[in-house]
Amino acid sequence: MALLEMQGITKIYNQGKIEVPALRGVDLTVEAGEFTTIFGPSGSGKTTLLNMIGCLDKPTAGRITFDGQELRELDKKALAMVRRYHVGFVFQSYNLIPVLTAYENVEFAIRLVNKYHKKEIRDRVLQILDAVGLAGLAGRKPNELSGGQKQRVAIARALVKEPKLILADEPSANLDSKTSEEVLQVMLKMNQELGTTFIFSTHDPRVMEYARRLIEIRDGLISKDQRRESEDVSD
Amino acid sequence: MGFIIKIAYKNLSRHKLRTFVSITAIAFSVMIVVFARGLINGMIDTLSVDHIQYNSGHIKIIDQEYLQQERLLPLNYPVDGFNGEGPRAMTADLKEIKDVEMVISRLKFGAMAGTENELITMCGWGVEPEQELIFTDIEDFLVEGRMAQTGRMEVVMGTALLKKLDRKVGEKITIVYNTAFNSLKGSTFEIVGRLESGLKMLNEVVFYLPLDQAQRLLEMDDQVTELLLVTSDKKIIHRVLPEVKKLLADKGATDRYLALGYKETSDLIPLMDIMKIIYNQIYIFLVLLSCIVVINTMIMIVKERTKEIGMMTAMGLESKEILQLFVIEGAIMGVLGSLLGAVSGSVLTSYLAEVGLDYTSAMSGMSADIIFDAIVYPVSSIGNTIFAFMLGMFIVTIACLIPARRAASLEPTEAMRA
Ligand SMILES: Nc1ncnc2c1ncn2[C@@H]1O[C@H](COP(=O)(O)OP(=O)(O)O)[C@@H](O)[C@H]1O
Ligand SMILES: [Mg+2]
Repeated sequence: MALLEMQGITKIYNQGKIEVPALRGVDLTVEAGEFTTIFGPSGSGKTTLLNMIGCLDKPTAGRITFDGQELRELDKKALAMVRRYHVGFVFQSYNLIPVLTAYENVEFAIRLVNKYHKKEIRDRVLQILDAVGLAGLAGRKPNELSGGQKQRVAIARALVKEPKLILADEPSANLDSKTSEEVLQVMLKMNQELGTTFIFSTHDPRVMEYARRLIEIRDGLISKDQRRESEDVSD
Repeated sequence: MGFIIKIAYKNLSRHKLRTFVSITAIAFSVMIVVFARGLINGMIDTLSVDHIQYNSGHIKIIDQEYLQQERLLPLNYPVDGFNGEGPRAMTADLKEIKDVEMVISRLKFGAMAGTENELITMCGWGVEPEQELIFTDIEDFLVEGRMAQTGRMEVVMGTALLKKLDRKVGEKITIVYNTAFNSLKGSTFEIVGRLESGLKMLNEVVFYLPLDQAQRLLEMDDQVTELLLVTSDKKIIHRVLPEVKKLLADKGATDRYLALGYKETSDLIPLMDIMKIIYNQIYIFLVLLSCIVVINTMIMIVKERTKEIGMMTAMGLESKEILQLFVIEGAIMGVLGSLLGAVSGSVLTSYLAEVGLDYTSAMSGMSADIIFDAIVYPVSSIGNTIFAFMLGMFIVTIACLIPARRAASLEPTEAMRA
């Protein structure tokens, strides 16, 4: 069974009296363990699509099944629980809590899921910070970290609760190419080691090289969907 | 929940100055509540104590007709025993009542004395000196000389009255009065003591003389104008008063005498009791006023952290938890501010309870009939401090619900686009 199935997803925003169609009938299936990029020009509907996948917003029409559960049957609280236990978000603007240290930002996420013992929490947080290359920086607050480091904290925060799916909306948009490469390496490594499913959006062609599956979206419709093996990255 | 409290607490340090201003606003209003309540309680306390000591005792027994004309100090409606046999037996019977500790006799009358160019009207209080020294505070007020003694033609007066009469302690004074049989007489007394207090009446109008002298001169042997009963505590009057009334009824004296609790003989004390209730409502508005600062701060906070709130929702926090986060943040300000205000308010009140607040000049125009001490001593009490603290804490927390609900109801996708 696929982790995610979307059928005929339509999203129309109402801007005053004007209706803005952001998605116009998207069909998409994502298997567990995939490392997928959604790319397309600005305004094509990438963020909207990720919000639908991550249960942050409801489609105007269409059906989404996540992990065997039909989302439109869930109420607000149940959707919050799906996000809390099974989905991790990474955003381009990091959105870390500025008064908490890197360690505490990550700790917050794991405490929310409430399935680990106290000591286990500490070990896991430190381990995950180590995995994203922030071993020595656990005690720093966001304003004492560089953009790439902050983004890695955000990834650690999404990863620490071992969700089934991580959604990253233009995770490298605020990073220079060297740093964005590092960040993508981290995500790829997590994907390979833990089997976490990644879906991230970008409009940066250099970033797409890392993906195993490339989905192009234009004007709210999927215009291209191709898979490739990790070996033949040249195209 | 524990972590949410931790975040709320840390969030307060983001804009230290702003947090400080909000806390100060709460602290100020709570401090004012503590102080104002202390002041009013102090006023009621002093008012009651003075009224009890210099007017009514805990229970006052007077002739019914006397009550109507009390301000004129008439001598033809005296208290002279249940059936005219003199107050001695009556006093003895009243003392038999449980919890009645003292029965004080006073004979009050109008009098005059002249200086070179004017006549001063005064009020003479014939008293049993030992009783007065025990029951009232005049011993503390005696700044010069001593109390008048039974059997002697002696008087004690307030500083202001002596000044008006241009007399000093040790000098003689001739006082003119009307006897019970309405003949004008004059007698000469020695001034043996001077009183100084915040009570305008004792200062400017009253002179004390021994009861036996007053009775003899006024031709009122075995008569007084009032009997004051003193119990062990003013709170038990409701229990003692029926006993007194029963005794009067048993002796067939109900149609002549009235027994009145101290609140019944004061206009001011019941008024102050009502004021106290009104003020309790004003305090709520006072604290609400300071809440505006807090609410304003919270609205700014919610605006600033819109993105963060969106992120938290994305992380799977429920609206309920977002609400908690902000309410707790406000509540911490409420608790800190209220604590600060309650502590500083009670320190201030305790200090003023020692030194007193002098309203002499403000009260100079007030009638001397009103027994009201111009120096008010606020009363500091734990109950009062706790009341103000709780009031501050609850109102601030409830007020924070308004901005917190806004935060909780933000749509995550909208919040994130902000
Ligand atoms: N909340 C919204 N209200 C109105 N229009 C919106 C809203 N969110 C997105 N849109 C519109 O929907 C379209 C798709 O937006 P978005 O999904 O953000 O694209 P992308 O992430 O690819 O840049 C755009 O035209 C955008 O203006
Ligand atoms: Mg976008």
